[in-house]
Amino acid sequence: MANIAAQRIKREFKEVIKSEEVAKCAIKVELVSDSYTELKGEIAGPPDTPYEGGNFVLEIKVPETYPFNPPKVRFLTKIWHPNISSVTGAICLDILKDQWAAAMTLRTVLLSLQALLSAAEPDDPQDAVVAKQYKDAPDMFRLTARYWTAAYAGGPYSNPDFDSKIRRLTDMGIESHDARVALSSFNWDLERATEQLFS
Amino acid sequence: MCREGDRCRYLHEEGSSSSSDEDQTKILTEGKVSKTPKKQTDLDNKIGRCSASSSNSDANRTNVNEEHPTSAPTDEMDLSSTSSSNSTDSQAGVEPVICQYFQQGCCMFGDNCFNKHEVLANTDHSSCKSSDVLQSTSVKSSIIAPSASEKDASAPQVQLAKTSRQHSPPTVLPSSSLEINELKTVESKTRLRVNAPEFIPGKFACAPPADPAPAPDHVNDTKEASSSKTWAQVVNCTAGNGVPSPNVSLCPYAEAGDCPYAENCTYLHGDTCEFCGNSCLHPTNEEQRKSHTDECIKQHEREMELAFAVARSKDKQCGVCFEVVVDKNPASEQRFGILPNCNHCFCLACIRKWRQAKQFENKIIRACPECRVTSDFVCPSMYWVDTKEEKDKLIMAYKDALSNKQCKYFKQGRGKCPFGNKCFYLHAYPDGTKVDTGPPIRRHRQNADGETDVLQLFLWDFLDERDNRWLYSLDDLDLVAFLSGSDDSDASEIDYF
Repeated sequence: MANIAAQRIKREFKEVIKSEEVAKCAIKVELVSDSYTELKGEIAGPPDTPYEGGNFVLEIKVPETYPFNPPKVRFLTKIWHPNISSVTGAICLDILKDQWAAAMTLRTVLLSLQALLSAAEPDDPQDAVVAKQYKDAPDMFRLTARYWTAAYAGGPYSNPDFDSKIRRLTDMGIESHDARVALSSFNWDLERATEQLFS
Repeated sequence: MCREGDRCRYLHEEGSSSSSDEDQTKILTEGKVSKTPKKQTDLDNKIGRCSASSSNSDANRTNVNEEHPTSAPTDEMDLSSTSSSNSTDSQAGVEPVICQYFQQGCCMFGDNCFNKHEVLANTDHSSCKSSDVLQSTSVKSSIIAPSASEKDASAPQVQLAKTSRQHSPPTVLPSSSLEINELKTVESKTRLRVNAPEFIPGKFACAPPADPAPAPDHVNDTKEASSSKTWAQVVNCTAGNGVPSPNVSLCPYAEAGDCPYAENCTYLHGDTCEFCGNSCLHPTNEEQRKSHTDECIKQHEREMELAFAVARSKDKQCGVCFEVVVDKNPASEQRFGILPNCNHCFCLACIRKWRQAKQFENKIIRACPECRVTSDFVCPSMYWVDTKEEKDKLIMAYKDALSNKQCKYFKQGRGKCPFGNKCFYLHAYPDGTKVDTGPPIRRHRQNADGETDVLQLFLWDFLDERDNRWLYSLDDLDLVAFLSGSDDSDASEIDYF
């Protein structure tokens, strides 16, 4: 790794640890390896959003050309969000692509992702299904997102209706995650989800 | 009589020529410079009059002067502004003169000396004493003084000449001419030999006794102060009468900081400057004092400015590499890249690298990485600039420096610069005349919708791409007196001003 990247990540790592967001448990960064090329980030779901109460884990890969190129970040925690792939966790965020600036840091990236959770951008989607739901059935989107937060990120929300639908599918030998994805994709329409799963 | 005869360097006016006393007298009474036509060439060529040959004429002339008090003894000196009223007083040396060398205990003639070897508490001598002491020290100092090497040939000669005057204060030389002489001596030390008054040891011994009584008194009152000035007094005025002439130059060693002779130095030591701490303020030359103080204040201001610049640069962190710019390694990296349109701090290497990033759009990389405000170029600087004035000054200096370099596209008229008059570099023909090459080249092209785009080339779109190459050429520019660090190259890591 280029010297400048390693040097900078070291400094940033110290900075993040000391930052007040860490103190408020809003963001967190951990080292995965000693090389400072791979890190694990964590952001708390922002309040007053479907993600409230959840903790979302991120994979951060620092390129050699950092900070002249952005770090590669994706969600390890499953999340229901128009700009984040529900399958891979890939993020569509301009600052992680063409709007990157060399002065940005791990901290600002994590805070930007947190902001992204509060303010989705459905016109520039990463996950077209989620984005469509976000636009066509916002209430259903909010419920689904909250349900996903509870299921994967440790959120407090519970929805017995959704639970029973998932159980119906798991009883048919479907993985709970696949059942959840299918149901979420069809606005919790059990019939269409079953159709899609068995087609 | 002069043993050298016609080959003597000095003028033999009477002794070796056939001019009669009457001729001389006549010329003198007419008040003209005593040059008989046939002696003209001699007079032109010979500087002073030979003392050995002129004793007779001196005697005659003094007589003449007595009879014609209004006539001036102008032929005595090449500098002949005279005060005739004093000329009658100049007849004191009629009695055998007391030998000054003997008084100082060093007459080389011993018993054969023309002059009287006798210690006298003469008024003349007593008044001369201080100067005599000085004189002897000056003889010494002329040998040992730091700057003596250039003068040591001429100084002793002047010494002798002046001493000869002191032998008989009621000298035939008018005081005013003496003073002028002295001034000249000081002003142009190189011409000392030329301006030196003639040395006439035997002159006064032969002068006729003419009204000796009033002379000493008068002389003491009026002329002593000036006519008895010694070389030492002239050179080291403070020791003489306490009021050195503004023209006297200061001891260069003391001026530069440390004179090894300290108080014993024969040269003038000025007052201590409170800024630089050197003895370089002339006691009487107000102009010199003022100019030196101004210089020192300016120097002080520059130092303060530098200190401030260093202080405000001290903890500045580059927004890209997060290192403290002035602590970066190697030292060549310790430069700021100042963006004209925002106040974010970067080191030059980082901001230039960012602006060369190929993977982003121009708009992104032209923008400040922190605030996204677009800047057209990066200005290198040794120190951080806080205020707008400082920044403007720095950028002006940067552009000035670039505008003195020939544009490599324009090639002194042989090429064509696409940046036109927006180019930072110099567009001038070989003879130095500057050229306005007009606005940058416009390129028209149709875009997909059939509209015409006007593209204008600007130098700064290319500046950063070429920055890496420029780094080397910039280093040898004598960029910018202040702040803009261009000579921070590894060769000179010392503070630069």
